[in-house]
Formats: sequence, C-alpha cells, structure tokens
Amino acid sequence: MIRIENVTKRYSETIAVDDLSLEVDDGKVCVLIGPSGCGKTTTLRMINRLIEPTSGHIYIDGKETRQMKPEKLRRYIGYAIQSVGLFPHMTVAANIAVVPKLLHWKRQRISDRVEELLTLVGLDPTEYARKYPNQLSGGEAQRIGVARALAADPPVLLMDEPFGAVDPLTRERLQAQFARIQQDLKKTVILVTHDLDEAIRLADQIAIMNSGKLVQYDTPEIILSKPASKFVHDFVGTDRALKRLSRINIEGYIKPASSINVRTPIQEAVSSLGKLLYLWVVDDHEYLLGWLDRRSINKSTSVERSMVSTDLSDMAVRSGSTLREALSRMLGLGFKFVPVVDESGRLIGELSLKDIEAATSEFEK
Amino acid sequence: MAARRDSVAITGSVLGLASLLFAWLTLKPNRLLSGTGLELWNSAGWDDTVIILVLWSVCLGLSFAGNKRLHAFVLGVLANVILIYTFVLAGHTAGNLLQTAPQFARISLGAGFWLTIAAAYILIHASRRRLQDVRIWQGFITWSALIAFVVMLLAGCFDDLAIMQEYNARSDRFEQEFFQHIRLFVQPVAIGTIIGVLLGIWAARSRIAEHPIFFTTNIVQTIPGLALLGLLLPILSALADDYPILEDWGIRGVGPAPAIIALTIYSLLPIVRNTFVALRQVDPAVINAGVGMGMSRFQVFYSIEVPLSAPLVLEGIRIAAIVAVGLAILAALIGGGGLGFFVMEGFNQGASDLILVGAIPIVVLAFVVDAAMRLAGRLATPKGIAAGES
Repeated sequence: MIRIENVTKRYSETIAVDDLSLEVDDGKVCVLIGPSGCGKTTTLRMINRLIEPTSGHIYIDGKETRQMKPEKLRRYIGYAIQSVGLFPHMTVAANIAVVPKLLHWKRQRISDRVEELLTLVGLDPTEYARKYPNQLSGGEAQRIGVARALAADPPVLLMDEPFGAVDPLTRERLQAQFARIQQDLKKTVILVTHDLDEAIRLADQIAIMNSGKLVQYDTPEIILSKPASKFVHDFVGTDRALKRLSRINIEGYIKPASSINVRTPIQEAVSSLGKLLYLWVVDDHEYLLGWLDRRSINKSTSVERSMVSTDLSDMAVRSGSTLREALSRMLGLGFKFVPVVDESGRLIGELSLKDIEAATSEFEK
Repeated sequence: MAARRDSVAITGSVLGLASLLFAWLTLKPNRLLSGTGLELWNSAGWDDTVIILVLWSVCLGLSFAGNKRLHAFVLGVLANVILIYTFVLAGHTAGNLLQTAPQFARISLGAGFWLTIAAAYILIHASRRRLQDVRIWQGFITWSALIAFVVMLLAGCFDDLAIMQEYNARSDRFEQEFFQHIRLFVQPVAIGTIIGVLLGIWAARSRIAEHPIFFTTNIVQTIPGLALLGLLLPILSALADDYPILEDWGIRGVGPAPAIIALTIYSLLPIVRNTFVALRQVDPAVINAGVGMGMSRFQVFYSIEVPLSAPLVLEGIRIAAIVAVGLAILAALIGGGGLGFFVMEGFNQGASDLILVGAIPIVVLAFVVDAAMRLAGRLATPKGIAAGES
C-alpha cells in the first residue's frame, strides 16, 4: 500500500503540490490526472524520491520512504517514463537487466527473467533481445520501457505517461496489453497521464489534481457520474455517458450469432436466411469470413461468391473490448450489429446497438 | 553508359599531368648551393616520361568514364602504380646521376616529384570515397604504395638522394630527436587529457564554472604559439630562480619544460570543449531513467555517461594531439629538441634537404596519430549508436 500524507512541495515562491493525501491499495491502479502544471508528475517523482517533499510523509507498505536510501528505495519501485529513456548503448536485454544487475542477481536468473519479460510484453525474445534501442519502433521501445520497469518484479510501479509518445492506435494496443498484464501481476501502480480516456480505461481509482491540490479521488464510475466540483465536471466533459461505456467490457452483452459454413449449398443458405436480416459466414474452423444478406445473395452461385467478404480489423470487435469500441465500430460502419471474434479471429457472437443503448440508460438511472 | 564525372579525380589527374612540366630532381654542386632543375625527361629519360604520361592520361580518362566501383578501383590501383614507379625512378635516377656528377654533388627532390605524390593521393582519396562499401579494396588502395615505400626505404633504395644523405649523416641524432618529439606531444596531450576532461566535466555539471572555464581556455587558445613560449620563458626562469627545486625537476625558461607546458595549455580547449558537449548531449531522459531505477550518481556516470560521451571526448583528444604534433616543432627554438631541431638547423644552414628530414616525419607522425585516434574513436563508439546507421 502506498500512503501519501499531507505532502507539500514548494519551490521558492510557487507551490507545486499542496498538502496532498492519498492512499493506493495493493494491486490497484491509481491514475493521477489533471491539466499540465497541476503537480501530478511532481507527486509521482516524490514517491521514489527523485524530488524530495518540502513537508509531509510518504509510506510504502508502512515504511516511510525517507528512512530508506534513495537508490535502494528506487530499485524496489518500477519506473517507466514517457520518453522511455532506454540506454542507447545497451541491447534490449541489457536494458531490461539494469535493475536485476544492480540487485546482483545471478546471470542465469537475469537472462531467464529477460526472456520472460519480453514474452510478457509480446516481443519475441530471440528477435528482440539483441536489438539496440535505435532499431525499435516507438511502440516497441515503450513496451521495453515497461518490461524494464517490471524487471526486478517490484511490488510498486510508477509510470509517467508511459504510453504518451506513440500514435493513438499503438497507444490503445499498449493500454490493452498493460491492462491484461496488470490483471495477472496485480502491481500497485501509480500512473500519470493527461489523457482522460486512458485514465478511465486503466484506473481503479482516479485522482484528479488541479494547481497542486487533489480535487477528487474516486473510482472512474463515480468520477463520471458524480463529479465533485465544477472543475471536475468540466474536466471530464460532456461526453460522460460515452466515456462510461469504455469502462464496460462487452463480455456481458455478447449474444449468440447465427452463422453458416461457407461451403453450405446456396439453396440451403437461402432457406437458412429465411426471415433473418443476415447471416455471418464462417469457414470450417469458425473463422469469420463475411456475411450474407438478402441483397447480396444470388441463387445461381455459391455462398462464397454471394457473401460480402470483410476485413476483420475493420468490422469485428475482439473479445475483451469495451462497449465504447463496439459502439464506435457500429457508428463508423452504419451497422446495428457487429460480430465478436476471439483473439485468433473465430466468431463467438454478436453485439447489437439496442443492447448498448440499454446499457447507457441503465446507468442514467 | 551514362558517364558521371568525378571532379576530385579529374583534379588529381590534371595535377599529375601538370607535374611533368616541373623540375623533378635538382642537381646541386654541394648540399648548400642551389642547383639546376631537371625535368623527368632530362633525368629519367624519355621512355619513363612517356609511360608516366600515359598512366596519368588513363587516369584522366577514367575520371570521366563513369561511377562504377570497378572504375574507382582501377583508378586507385593506377595511382599506386604511379607512386611506386615514381619511387623506383627517384632512387634509381639519383644513383645514375651521381655516378657522372662531381664529388660533393647532391640530388634533391624537386617540385615535380612532390606534385606527383600529391596528385596520386588526391586520386587515392577520390577512389577510396567511392569504395566505401568494399573495405578490402579500400585498404589495398590505401596501403600498397605506402608499404612499398617503407620497404624501399629500409632496403636503401633512396640512399643516393640528398635527403637520405642528410639523414644518414645524423641517424643517431635523428633517433634521439624523433623520440623527443614523441615525448613532446604525448606528455602534453596526456596531461591535457586529464586536466581537460576534469574541467569539461566540471563545466558540464556547474553553470557557474562553465563560463570562466571556457573564457580562460578560449583566451589561451588565441595566443600564438611562439608568443606563449615567449611569455612562459621569463615566468618560468623567474620561478626557477626563486625556487631552485623546480630547476631540479627540469622546469626553467628554456628546454622541454616550457614547451610541454605551452602544448598542454593548447591541448586543453578541444578536450574541454568536447567533454563538455559530449556530456551535455546525453539525453536527460536516459539519465532520469537511470536515476529513477536506482543507479547511484557514480553508476550513472560510468555506465551511462562515460560510454555515451567517449567517442566525442576521443575526438577532442585527436584534435589536440594533431595540433600538438605540429606545434612541437617550436620546442626546438628554446632548446627543447624534437624534430623541429632539424627544421631549424636546416633553416640556419640553408640546407633545404635537412629541413625535410625534420618535416616529413612530422607529417607522417600527424597522419599516424590521426589514424590511430580515429580507430580508437571507432572502437569506443557504442554499438547501439552505430547500429541504426547500417
């Protein structure tokens, strides 16, 4: 558990952090968010003593950080930053091994750990271990940054806009991956961001700061439904309902979908379609190939020729996505239904616009 | 085939052709008097003149012919052939000429000879530039004429040339002054490296120190070398008079000490500047990450800052060393010895070949130091920084 007690940081005339108190439970993700200059990064850097507070106390697992040697303290706190700061003269493997080496781990243990972490962040160890940072893409570098922060398996992880410096698509992918990793590892995480969507997506608790003060500290649901002040209200914006959708996993809303095999004789397909609006078309292994509807069906040819084939990445929603992603997919394509596929692309069901509408009205009550 | 002209190679070839118009060797009645210039055809003969003329013309043609790697390679090989041919001719012709000449006659190398060497190396440079991806060819072109030259030198092929006669008359002294010259630049650069790196680190760490450090080193750098020696002379002799113990250490107005001190001062600026820039260009995010992960100040310094700044620091030392090799000539003026001794002695006697006995090794030393430091710089460049380029 991390406990911040009445911490103030004063720079001659200005107050960067003003009497801040905050508790983060073990295994939870706390996101610090606020406009720039609100003191969120200063707060983060006071936890691993890169900045010393002017007054107040910070405890990690009941021990006051001030009682520990800064270097020792930092080796037990993972640290990932926006600019990543990979050491350009070291290979990816050596970069990840920095803290384990500082802790004098045995060589075999270090190389095992490097391999494990690269696999964890979804990079092939045989390909990436020997690469140098300048051979990595932005997204790869940030993943290595996260792997490096996790290297010595620290109970606490501090992240300063860890997904900031990449394009939106990559960022979304990294966030999803981080959420998955966090589900397994259950680290106590403090993450700084200025991206509200990221906060809502990843946080168990959101701490909204403004000019050095903590203005609201709550779960994302409560922050979205009951903003504590006009500042928070303005900060979360008018699309609160939409934002809340990104807190909801599609899992509970997936309905079974009707589908046919691509090699079904066309006559049989026509009768299966019957009064239905459409049918999803899959292959022998249940991989989604496209769909069939009255307009596309052509009795004189095969299902394969008749169907509207589809690019999966365009249309299908992967399991584990949020309602918000499903909704934006629907709005983008103009469909009232979208198929849901698993990680490998097999059809597992569908989502309807009606159900999503129902979900929104549910929490308006 | 689309012909692409290589202007550097053209310059070299034209210069090479032009070199034929100048006196190639000079026949002097004795080592001090000036002599009569002999063109290539007047010394070596028409056959050899025509061969060299043809070789240069082929080079000129190749310079226009295109930009294929093979062309560049042939050009480089031809330049080496011309060089080796010129060396052989010089030694051989000098021997022939001396047989019919009066007893004290000397044969010096003339402008034509030096121009030939210069032109050939311009061609080699042009050729190397275009062979950058074929290291073996490049090495062959760079080294073959040089190796041939050293072999011929050791075999005594040039012993009939005045410059070698001057050398042979003083070979013991040469050895002594050669090593003295090496001491004269190695010691100041070594001391300058220690002080310069420390000052550079200090300047990079402290905003307050930065300004005075650069102010001083910049001012010192603008004092002309001879003037600095002149300034040190009275200061050091006064010090030595007051503190005789300094004199026991060899510190006095004349001798190697003032030269070493002056050269040390000159080494400082490039080393301080490069150390400063090298440390400042290290990405702050990298330092932040290192500190944030629990590295101590010292660990950040030696495992991040040192490897990342080493190439630039070595580059500063390289510049300082090359400057010092040249400036060390001045030491001879105040009794400090070194290869400058032969240069000064040659000036005093009016014996131009004696000047060359000092000057040529200095040029060679400068090239060797340059090559060695470049190699060191390459070796010190962390792999990850070069990896992205390849």
